[in-house]
Amino acid sequence: MEAQANINADGSEPCALAVDGLVAGYAGRPVARLDRLRIGNGEAGLLLGPSGSGKTTLLLAMAGLAERISGNVLVAGVAPYSLSRHALDRFRGQTIGFVFQNVHLVAGLTLLQNVLLAAFATGVRQDPARARELIERLGVGAAADQRAEKLSRGQAQRAAIARALLLRPRLILADEPTSSLDDTACAAVAEVLRRSAHEEGAALLIATHDHRLRPHFSTIATVGTPT
Amino acid sequence: MTLVRLALSFIARRPAVWLLQVAMLAFGVWLVASLVLLERGIERRFAHDMAGVDLIVGAKGSPLQIVLSSLFAMDTPTGNIPLEQAQAIARNPLVAQAVPVSIGDNVGGFRIVGTTPAYADLYHAHLAHGRWWVKPLEAVAGATAARRLHLSVGDQFVGQHGLSGGEAHSATPFRVVGVLQPSGSIVDRLVLTDTSSVWKVHEGEDADAGAIPGLVAARHGREVTALLVKYRSAMGAVVLPQVVTAKPDLQAASPAVEVRRIARALGVGAEVLRWIAIALLLLAAGGFVVNLWVAIDQRRPELALLRVLGASRLRLVSLISLEAAILGLVGSVLGLALARLLMAGLESVAEQYGAEFALPPLGITEVLILSAGVILAVLAGLPAAILAGYIDPARELGRA
Repeated sequence: MEAQANINADGSEPCALAVDGLVAGYAGRPVARLDRLRIGNGEAGLLLGPSGSGKTTLLLAMAGLAERISGNVLVAGVAPYSLSRHALDRFRGQTIGFVFQNVHLVAGLTLLQNVLLAAFATGVRQDPARARELIERLGVGAAADQRAEKLSRGQAQRAAIARALLLRPRLILADEPTSSLDDTACAAVAEVLRRSAHEEGAALLIATHDHRLRPHFSTIATVGTPT
Repeated sequence: MTLVRLALSFIARRPAVWLLQVAMLAFGVWLVASLVLLERGIERRFAHDMAGVDLIVGAKGSPLQIVLSSLFAMDTPTGNIPLEQAQAIARNPLVAQAVPVSIGDNVGGFRIVGTTPAYADLYHAHLAHGRWWVKPLEAVAGATAARRLHLSVGDQFVGQHGLSGGEAHSATPFRVVGVLQPSGSIVDRLVLTDTSSVWKVHEGEDADAGAIPGLVAARHGREVTALLVKYRSAMGAVVLPQVVTAKPDLQAASPAVEVRRIARALGVGAEVLRWIAIALLLLAAGGFVVNLWVAIDQRRPELALLRVLGASRLRLVSLISLEAAILGLVGSVLGLALARLLMAGLESVAEQYGAEFALPPLGITEVLILSAGVILAVLAGLPAAILAGYIDPARELGRA
């Protein structure tokens, strides 16, 4: 797989995420800019910007889902937009895990099935034992066989985190995971994300407008407006 | 997690909509399948009862009437033909086989046919009990007739004049000497006897006694109602009808031609039903197009999520197509089952009215209808599937 084949010239592993002068948008229209961001393997970073500033667009551009108008992105040493369409789908599925603000789970499927969805969508072998283990570790093991629509918001979010981690990605991109949560819940979610990403050896980038998260992170980048 | 499971969970989310949709498709398929089954059932019935008879020689009159009366036990005969003339035809070198039939009486609504045992051979009907007749007034009952009339070997019965009901020929009772196995053909509903029995029953009767033409043996000489002819070669088809028609009293009737005429007459009604069926199927397809589109539109964020999780466009297109195919399959199977059920019901009702028809076994037609239903649903789901393929995850999730 092309993603794993990337090794730096000095033999070290490339860092999980390297962004330089990225301008992202839709249909040729620039939406947001990110000057520079480096997140090493297993490290965590914060992408701060007010609501509507284009954080999601930047995250999606890093995964090759939104348009990269200019600048460079390397995820685990690979420029996603250099890949063919099919290779990009696979690369995204296996190298990047997503956690969204609102869209967590597919209704009608159980929590466990939702976690396995990551393997299903990418077309790789589904490992229920691994999925259960992740669910247990995230503290929602008891709800594994409940349908998604019966889960609380918190349970659904933890399921989404488990799903993002299922295929042992190099990078987790979390979009506003803490908005509309109270301070305690906010800190808890940030902690769960950090801890589980760390345990799995995945780098973590949280895009948020939530300044309460600032103290928890040392690597912080800010969304800029495209010129 | 499989594609099928995901498709099923999507379907399960809007049970009412898909129930209606599937019902609509089922009705369309049901109507189409019923029409096909009915047509084939009738065709099979006719084909079976034609028994390979190439030509029927009867008294001058409507050829359709001759075919109906002498082959299918419907309608009255056109009259009788003199035995010598029938024998002259039978002796023609182009005739491979000639079986006489004489009609005129019934027992409890079942026609008594004066003929030879060769008649039963035409339909591959074999004796279940007893033996064939050896003298006049011995009879062999068809399976259905025997069952309904509670006739078994050794029983006696009295024929009635005409083709149903009528004055009893009490002076000349028949004796049952044999009962036939069911053959699935018209023979099941007949009581067979020797040609001479019919003559004996009507011996001495006045030619004017019967109101229905052809029921009465004329005073001057022996007669039969019709002669069922099988050609020796294709030449027979060319020559024999002309030979027959040249005789002033005789009429040649081709069962194949007459059956085709009936089928064409029935075809008009079937045509109307066929258009209704097509309209229903188109409506169902239209419903699929709209409802699947709406469903996909509502599901945009989840489908976008699947894309983000690594699913290719093709995977989403296959997912939606599979969903449509499942719905199409359920609708078609339901429709086919309904059609079968209805036909089975019709079969038993028709049997009670003496108009049995032969329900064809499950076959290639059902497979074709099933595939057509599934293909129709998949085609109708194609716009929605393509819509799903073109969902832009950035646009869907960027809004959130």
